Amino acid sequence: MSATTAALSLLGISLIAVGGVYGAASVVRIGSGALGAAPFGSGLEPTEHAVSRFHVRWYTVTMLFLAFDMEMVFMYPWTRVISAMGPSAVIEMFVFLAVLVTGVVYAWREGALRWT
Amino acid sequence: MVEAGAWWTLLAAPGLLVVLAALAVAGNAVLDARNAGRPVGVAGAVRPFLDVPRALVVQPRRLPAADRLLWRAGVVTVPVAAVLSTLVIPFGGHVVADLSVGVVWFNAMEVLTWAGLWLAGWGPNAAFSLVGGYRFLAQGLAYELPLMFALISAATGAESLRVGDIAAAQDGLWYAVWMPVAFAAYLAGVLAFSFLGPFAYPAGRDLAGGVLGEVSGVDRLLLRAGRWLWLASGAAMAVPLFLGGGAGPGLPAWAWSLVKTLLVLGLLVWGLRRLPVIRADRYVEFAWVVLIPLTIVQALVPAVVNLNR
Amino acid sequence: MDLTGLGLRVTAARPHVLLATVPGGAAVRLAAERLLSSRDWPQVPTPAQADLLLVAGPDSPESQAALERLWRDLPAPRARVHARTADEVEAALDAGRALLGSPAVQHESAALPAEAGGHQEGEHGSRERHEGDGQAPGHGGEGGGQGERRADDAHGGPGGGHTPHDAGQDREAEHGDGGQAHDDQDADGHGNPGGHGGHGGHGGGRTEMPGGLPMAEQGADRDGLALDQLHVSLGPFLADWPAGLTIRLVLQGDVVQRAGVDEPATPAAGGAAEPYWAQPWLRVASGERVPVGEAVRRRAAAHLDSLGRLLAVAGWPAEAVRARRLRDDLLSGAPRAAVAPRLERFTRRVGRSRTLAWLTSGIGVVTAQKAREAGVSGPAARAGGDVTARYRQWLTDIRRDLPRLEDAAPLDVAMEESPRGLWSAEDPPSAALIALLPRLLEGAELAAARLVVASLDPEPDELAARSAVEVARG
Repeated sequence: MSATTAALSLLGISLIAVGGVYGAASVVRIGSGALGAAPFGSGLEPTEHAVSRFHVRWYTVTMLFLAFDMEMVFMYPWTRVISAMGPSAVIEMFVFLAVLVTGVVYAWREGALRWT
Repeated sequence: MVEAGAWWTLLAAPGLLVVLAALAVAGNAVLDARNAGRPVGVAGAVRPFLDVPRALVVQPRRLPAADRLLWRAGVVTVPVAAVLSTLVIPFGGHVVADLSVGVVWFNAMEVLTWAGLWLAGWGPNAAFSLVGGYRFLAQGLAYELPLMFALISAATGAESLRVGDIAAAQDGLWYAVWMPVAFAAYLAGVLAFSFLGPFAYPAGRDLAGGVLGEVSGVDRLLLRAGRWLWLASGAAMAVPLFLGGGAGPGLPAWAWSLVKTLLVLGLLVWGLRRLPVIRADRYVEFAWVVLIPLTIVQALVPAVVNLNR
Repeated sequence: MDLTGLGLRVTAARPHVLLATVPGGAAVRLAAERLLSSRDWPQVPTPAQADLLLVAGPDSPESQAALERLWRDLPAPRARVHARTADEVEAALDAGRALLGSPAVQHESAALPAEAGGHQEGEHGSRERHEGDGQAPGHGGEGGGQGERRADDAHGGPGGGHTPHDAGQDREAEHGDGGQAHDDQDADGHGNPGGHGGHGGHGGGRTEMPGGLPMAEQGADRDGLALDQLHVSLGPFLADWPAGLTIRLVLQGDVVQRAGVDEPATPAAGGAAEPYWAQPWLRVASGERVPVGEAVRRRAAAHLDSLGRLLAVAGWPAEAVRARRLRDDLLSGAPRAAVAPRLERFTRRVGRSRTLAWLTSGIGVVTAQKAREAGVSGPAARAGGDVTARYRQWLTDIRRDLPRLEDAAPLDVAMEESPRGLWSAEDPPSAALIALLPRLLEGAELAAARLVVASLDPEPDELAARSAVEVARG
């Protein structure tokens, strides 16, 4: 069994299981129709749709995160070649990380990691 | 060496994961019962499982203008991703597929919960759920990078992204012993992507349940199961990454894997109740200023060791 | 094999309970919490998760609409029970379990879609719920059977008669003035009193939104950005929340931009409006002789109740359960020796938790001077600081009270403060705490806002006692 087959089979099995649970519920559940309900508002009616342009006040952190996430793309393959490449690989990677951490320290001092 | 690709592992891996998750739920119920002064026993331990048939009979709810497709997709993603993560977790001498990028696979499946939980929060068109979904993203910004550096520390130690190789490379000395920071960051990450205990921020009681507030019936069952499946999966993955996999004296490899997994799982379940919820607005700063530099230094240690080998 | 019936029996074996405490229901809530915990019936915070709606407390016409809303959101299998006094709780829970396990009842409940519950259109459209306590008697009489009562008009405003719940079914109807309702809500927090019966058909010009609800509208935030605003209310029926308190928030993201406190609802006229936690002080005021030990015990239990709430809101359920167990033990008259060691362990664990202190520091700062100016006299004033300082003050007070649990000297109201401050029927301590809230909440994150409220933990029932005094004088 190849890895792809295994992954797809596992996905298939879990989806079948999930589908089975939904199927069982549709047979067993009480009543035929769905209950028309309102979202929880502590007992009061909702006044508008909740889906809205959410004020994401930590957006600066997402920028920092993206920088590090890109760095991870390099770091995963890097783990495999450390011995082959020698000290230069380690030095380059950690100098790169040091540059990023300097950026984090700057962002921290600017207050980008606090939003309350 | 682990043996990959036996067809029966396709059923054994999810089955084992469900059993481990069920044990975690039962263990948590026992601790709850003791805490509340109820008699501690098997009857109390299995009571949470009454929720399973209950979830099946519940009448479905229809919320005004809920995004049902995305909502359900999000709910289903969480447990399914947890099951998919077991693809690369060796148990004893067996694994479903010994991917050459196993660590990346586990990481990728875990990140799917970001999408899943956010969608689960967005879908019902309810204010508290929405806030809960965004809370998980903020929490993710804090826990994810320390977790990734922890995974990379282990991979660097073995100079391989294959989980089986990482387990085999710990011959004699576990990574948990000489990479304690990575191990701790990993365990915190497991609690965080299971959004349990101190990381139950997206499903907080202060948000009337947050992402769990509007789900009922099977949706609710799956989302809650997803949490415990992830906890079990994270505990199982800790064994090859940091605790030497199935290696150990006397017992067969599968038994060692089981014992170590149960110990990690027990530690996590016990740890759930030791701390209040760590809100992301505080944790983000701590994670970026303390945890990330620490885990980077931790990743440097195996890199330097490799050079001197 | 009747699988559905089996599922119902299983549900009845461990029902998930939505506990709705109405004003004046503190004692009933305590009994219910104790019983639910010992039976391992989980308490859930929203109707979606609940099987059993347990209404705790005396009849409260003002809360009826909100209770109906909760009830209609419970999916079948479901049951609703009402415990008016603490003694009724056990019977109510048993009745609820019987209802849940009965296939006949549940099939009927599921077959009755929401239309049957609340679709009596018409004459109640202009009724207002938030105008104050003077209306309470009038409400009680109208509407007939409770199950038939329209709950939708709770919001007031011109859109009051046309709510999302209806419009889900009859979307074609002329319900377009929802946006206007929103505007009015915005303007004064709780809708304009007065006739809005005539607005029903005026919505034609608006674009119909799905579900009959308007989209969020923009407003300037504290940084001058124009951002979407959501109107969310905390209370009246929220888990780990003071019963009867309603705070209307304008949220941008999860930041509270504005906060307005509704006039607390009151129990039915003539009902027992006695605030449970201040009972010993009230009894002294009415001329009775009350031993100090009893008052001190009640005060320590009140602080433990507040701590339980704070810990639950802070996401530390294990310690919240411990606090509530200690509270129940104190209230059931356990001797000091039985409670002291556990209490000591609890205060040490919570009081010295660095994590909890880190998470609550800097939130909701009320300096001692500000507190005095606002008329606060209790632990909140003595703590003089943030949420951390206030919960530590509670812990200190509990430890200080511990040696006096069996003190038989008569209670002197001027010497011993009630749980929330020096007792005065005209100006109950909770009034000052509630007055502090809007300023503290504005600009706070939702999580922080919950912590602030929990750390002050006002008791709206005390205000009801005040209005009872005023009624007696007037």
